[in-house]
Amino acid sequence: MKGRHVRYFFGKIGLFFVTLWAAITVNFILPRMMPGSPADAAIAKLSQNGPVTPEVRASIEAQLGMPKGNLLSQYWQYLGDVVHLNFGVSYSNFPQNVSDLVGAALPWTLTLVGLVTIISFIIGTALGALMAWKRGTAVDVTGTISSSFLSAFPSFWLALMLLFFLGYKAGIFPTSGAYSSTAIPNFSMDFISDAVEHSILPALTILLTSLGSYVMGMRNTMINTLGDDYVTFAEANGLRQRTVMLKYAARNALLPNLTSFGLVLGGVVGGSLLVEQVFNYPGVGLLLYQAVTNQDYPLMQAIFLMITISVLVANFIVDILYGVLDPRTRR
Amino acid sequence: MMELLRVENLSVEYDSPDQEPVKAVEDVSFSLDQGEFVGLVGESGSGKSTLGFAVTRLSKPPARISKGRVLFGGKDITTLSQEELRRQRCGGFAMVLQSGMNALNPVRTVRKHFVDIYKAHGNVEKKDYEAHSRQLVEKVGLQDSVLNAYPGELSGGMRQRVSISLALALEPKLMVFDEPTTALDVLVQHEVMGTIRELQKQEGFTAILISHDLGVVLESTQRVLVMHNGRIVEDAPSERILTDPQDDYTKMLLSHYGDPRAEHVSVPGLKPRDEAAASGSVGGTPSQADDEEDMTVTVTGVSKIYPARKRGEDSVTAVNNVTFTLSPGQSLALVGASGSGKSTIAKMLTGVERPTSGNITLGGRRVDQMKRRKDLRSLRSDIQMIFQDPYSALNPLHTVEYTLTRPILNYTDLRGDDARRRMLELLDTVGLTPVEQYAAKLPHQLSGGQRQRVVIARALASNPHVLVADEPVSMLDMTLRAGILALLDDLRVRLNVSMLYITHDLLSARLITDSIMVLNKGTVVERGQTAQVLQHPENDYTIKLLDAIPSLRTQA
Repeated sequence: MKGRHVRYFFGKIGLFFVTLWAAITVNFILPRMMPGSPADAAIAKLSQNGPVTPEVRASIEAQLGMPKGNLLSQYWQYLGDVVHLNFGVSYSNFPQNVSDLVGAALPWTLTLVGLVTIISFIIGTALGALMAWKRGTAVDVTGTISSSFLSAFPSFWLALMLLFFLGYKAGIFPTSGAYSSTAIPNFSMDFISDAVEHSILPALTILLTSLGSYVMGMRNTMINTLGDDYVTFAEANGLRQRTVMLKYAARNALLPNLTSFGLVLGGVVGGSLLVEQVFNYPGVGLLLYQAVTNQDYPLMQAIFLMITISVLVANFIVDILYGVLDPRTRR
Repeated sequence: MMELLRVENLSVEYDSPDQEPVKAVEDVSFSLDQGEFVGLVGESGSGKSTLGFAVTRLSKPPARISKGRVLFGGKDITTLSQEELRRQRCGGFAMVLQSGMNALNPVRTVRKHFVDIYKAHGNVEKKDYEAHSRQLVEKVGLQDSVLNAYPGELSGGMRQRVSISLALALEPKLMVFDEPTTALDVLVQHEVMGTIRELQKQEGFTAILISHDLGVVLESTQRVLVMHNGRIVEDAPSERILTDPQDDYTKMLLSHYGDPRAEHVSVPGLKPRDEAAASGSVGGTPSQADDEEDMTVTVTGVSKIYPARKRGEDSVTAVNNVTFTLSPGQSLALVGASGSGKSTIAKMLTGVERPTSGNITLGGRRVDQMKRRKDLRSLRSDIQMIFQDPYSALNPLHTVEYTLTRPILNYTDLRGDDARRRMLELLDTVGLTPVEQYAAKLPHQLSGGQRQRVVIARALASNPHVLVADEPVSMLDMTLRAGILALLDDLRVRLNVSMLYITHDLLSARLITDSIMVLNKGTVVERGQTAQVLQHPENDYTIKLLDAIPSLRTQA
C-alpha cells in the first residue's frame, strides 16, 4: 500500500521533469526553424535610412549574441543559460537583463493572480457545495442567478467599470499601478498596506469573473453526488448532516472541480494580461504586452517559457492533489 | 410475539411539476412482529422499493408520504424531525441498498465508514472502535484487513458484505434489504443470501427482504407480501404462497418459475420443447444445411489471453482452448458465472476481439483473420448481436424508425419506400403492432420489453445468419422474459438462423436451447444436450451453478 503511493508520486515527479525538458527543448528549436535571424531584421530596418557598414553589422550581432558553433553546442549553451536564468538583454528596456525584468514582474503577478485564483476556488467551491445542499432554496436560486450573471462579464469590461466607479468617481481605491509613486518598496507595514490597497480593484475583478464557474461546477457535480448511493446509505446510517454534506457529497464532488482549477492555475502567469493592462499593474501580463508591441524577442521568449513552466507546475500540483484526494488514482 | 412495525394506510406519491402526482404506494397496511423475516415481492414499478424507503424514512423528493402512519415500536416515525430521526436510526431501522456496490464512499476506507457511524451515534466508546468493527466484518465473513481497503479495492460481493456489516453497526431492530444481491454474480448472490439468513437467525433482528425474485424470497422468508401496482395483493406465510396462492397476480408470478433440473419445464407463453427431437451436435460434425452457402460457425481451439496490465501481474486467460460448431437453425447456450469468458467468446465471434490462438470460421471465411473493412462489413451483416441492457442499447434521441432504417440502408439494397416497408415488416416480425405507431416512438416511450424487441428487430435488419444474444432477458421482469424468449425461439425456427445464447440463467437456457456449454474460467467444463446436462450434471461447477438457483421451496 505504502510502496504504491511512493511509486505514484515519484512517477508524477519524473513525468514533470520529462515534460519540462521537452518544453524547454521545443522553446529552443522553434525560433531556429524560423527563416532569417533577428540580426537580419534589425539590419533591414536600419538600411532603410542608409547603407549599413560591416562594423555596424558586427556590433549588432555582438549585441544580440549571435549563436556560435553547431546546433548541439548551441543547445548545450542554451540549457546552461536556462539553468542560470540567463535570457539575454532586453531590446525595449536596453540594457536591462531579461531575467531582471521578469524577476521584477513575476512576484506581483504570482501574488495577486495566484492568491486570488486560490481564494476564488475555495470560495466558489464552498458556495457551490452549500447551494447544492440547499437546492431549490433562496440561497441556491440567488447564487445560481448571480454567478451566471457574473461569469458572463468580460474581465476587462468589469475592470473598467470598477475603475470608473470605485476608483475615479468614488475615489475609494487608487486607479493605477501596484503601489503609490512615492512609496519605497520594502517590507514595512506602510508599503504592504499601500500595495494591498492598490491590489484590491484588480483582485476584485479577477475574483468576480472567475468565481461563477467554480460555483456552478461544484453545485452541479454535488447535486449528482447527493443522489449517489453512498450518500443515501450514509443517511440511512444516521450520520451527522455535516459529515454527509462535507465528507461524503462535497468530498467526491470536489474532484472534477479540481481539474478546472488546475487549468486556471496554469494560466495565472500569462492569463491576466487584460486586467493588468487596464490597471497598469506591473505584472507579467503587462510586461508581455510591452514585449509584443515592441518586438522584444528575448523578453517574449523568456515570458513564454515562464508561461509554459507555470502550466506544467500547475498540472503537477493538481496531479499530486488528485493522488492525495482520490485513492483510485493511486492504483 | 411483540409487534415491532405497523404500517397503517400508507400512501406515497411522486410529485411531478405540471401533472397529477403519481401514486407509487397506495393505502398499504401491514405489521411485523419482532424477529420476523418477511419478503416483499413485486415487479419493477410495483412500488416495493418506494415502500421500503418510506418505512425507513429515506424517501427523497419528489417522493412524498401523502397519507398514513408508520409506527415503529409504537411511535409514528413519519412525523419525526430530521434530527430525531437521525438518532432513531441507531438501535432502530437500517437499510441495505440495491446496488450495495456503490453504497460506499469511494474516497474513504472501510474503517472510516465504521468510525463515522460510531461518532454519529456514540454507541461505541472510542477505544473499542477497532475491536467492534473487526468483529462486525468477521460476522459477515470477511477478514479484518478489509478495514484498510478503499471500496474500489473490493469485489462487488465484498462491498455488499461490508455494507451489511455497516448496517449491523447500528444494532438495528429492523433491517430492510432492498434487492441486496441483484447486482451480484449468481454464485456470489447465493453466498451473500446465505450470510444474510444466518445473520438474521443469530442476531434475531426483524428483516424485510425486497426482491423481484420470488425464488430468492421464498427460500429465505417465513412470510411474503406480494405487491402489484402500489398495493399489497397478498400477505401470507411462504408455505401457503407456494401451495395455495389466492391472488391471480401471485399465481401468474409463480407460473413463470420453473426448475431447470426438472424433467419437464414450461412457462406460460413458451411452447414446451420437443427435447427428444433436438439435434445436439455440439463438437460433432455439423448437420449439412441445404443452403447454397453453408453458414455454419466453427470455433476450433480458440484461446484469448490478455497480457498483464502492469509489470509483476500475471496475464489473464479469458478463454482457454474452446471448440464448438453452430449450424443454421441450431441454438447453443453458453453458461457460466461472470468472468467465465462468455462475453469474450461473443466478442471474438463478432470480430471485435481477435483470438490469441485457434481459428473461427463462418461459412468458410476466417473470422479471426479479417482485417479489411469490406470483410468485416459482410461479417457484421451475417452475425448480429442482441444486447443485455435495452435501456442503453438504443440512442435516446432517435425514433424507432430511424434506429431500424440505418442498418437497412447500410446492409441491404432497399431504398426509399422499400426500406420503409422493410422497417415496418421488422416491427411486425418482433410483434410491435400497430407498426406505424411504434415506428414513430422514441425509446423513452417504450417499456423495457418493447425496447428489447426493437433491439432484436435491429439485429434482424441485415438478414443475419447468426444471432449472438448476450443475456437478452436479464434486465427484464420475470413475466416479460417469456415473451422475449418465445420471440427468439420463434425467429430461430422461422428464419433458420443459428443462435448463441449467452446467459447465467439456466432456466431460460433450458427453455430455448438445444445444446449447452458450461464455461468456468475460460474452459469448457461440460457440454451436451441442454435437457440432459441440466437434469444430470456431471461437473462440480455445473452442479454448483444449479445449486445457486433458489428453488421454489420454502425454508421449512
